[in-house]
Amino acid sequence: MMSDEVVGPVEAGLRDQEQGLALRAAHAVLAYRAGDRAPLAELVEVMTPLLWHTVRAQGADPEQAQDVVQNVWLTLVRDIETIRDPRATLQWMLVTARRAAWRTVRRSRDELVRQQQDETVTDWLAAPLDQLPDVVAVRDERDRALWRHVRELPERCRQLLGLVATVDRPDYAVVSRSLGMPVGSIGPTRGRCLAKLRQALTSDPTWSLV
Amino acid sequence: MNADGRELEALADAPLDMLDLEVLRRLDALVDAVDPVPAGLVERIGIALTVEALHAEVAELHLVGEAAGAVRADETSIEAGTITFTTDVLTVMVSVHPEGDRLRVDGWAAPAGLLTVELHQHGDVVVTSSNADGRFSFSDVERGPARFVLRRPAEPTVPIVTPQIEL
Repeated sequence: MMSDEVVGPVEAGLRDQEQGLALRAAHAVLAYRAGDRAPLAELVEVMTPLLWHTVRAQGADPEQAQDVVQNVWLTLVRDIETIRDPRATLQWMLVTARRAAWRTVRRSRDELVRQQQDETVTDWLAAPLDQLPDVVAVRDERDRALWRHVRELPERCRQLLGLVATVDRPDYAVVSRSLGMPVGSIGPTRGRCLAKLRQALTSDPTWSLV
Repeated sequence: MNADGRELEALADAPLDMLDLEVLRRLDALVDAVDPVPAGLVERIGIALTVEALHAEVAELHLVGEAAGAVRADETSIEAGTITFTTDVLTVMVSVHPEGDRLRVDGWAAPAGLLTVELHQHGDVVVTSSNADGRFSFSDVERGPARFVLRRPAEPTVPIVTPQIEL
């Protein structure tokens, strides 16, 4: 049976954790088809943050983003019998989320143009630290330096690093691919975006001195 | 290619090290702080999926009176007093009473009869039964988005699902 190929019954949860969201998603889809909805409910908890940031990175406002994320999950459940390769579930959800967000943002931009208002597109991870609503997470000068240099990266790199940071190592490749970045953008090698950030950090005394 | 460019290429082709993982770990914390997942989103999705799973068998109820349905947690909560739902086969009235930090929910279904009543909230389900008069009650209920699923003994596989309300 397919589920045995992907995740064995023994300590499946533990292995899922080590093997990342992609495999947990595959397991959840197979379980759901077999009538067990619990793994999918757990997946909602661990995967919604990644979907949220994926959608926000496209410039969707918080209200739009909540609808988009919820719809991605509903679409998954509605189409769950037709997924041919459950191991591609994570990739499919990320691409679906990104496209849906992009459509939503484009619609509201058209709306804004019609109303002749200024575009108020969110530039993800590009706000200055002192303008952020909550800087509690900024623990030290290193965080400050890190944020400063992330802001200065090209948009594509900000998206890639911000989303890759949200997941564990086994999912780096899937996240890169779903952004249309080449396979292996990050992991096993560092890739250009992370290399740029490392270069900037290394030459910043506030980062390297601490 | 200048020295910076060569250095960048070399850095890019090198394997990830501990410092990279530390950078990503810090960035993850910053991203979560700067753009947190809204409170209640995961719960709302859970409830939506539960309802979707039942969907083929659902008789959707309509809300009469106060428009308290589908309220988001980030909007001002509607202090639900009494809410009435109705379908062709059943009318349900629900009233909410604060008890300290928690709530008591009293309900009454007509036509009167024994029903199984489920309260779906935060991904959890609490089950009770109505008495012969159609009355039921939940105590020690948390505030937040919630949904009721009612099952009639005559047709146990055809549940009646209310829209989501903010308790």
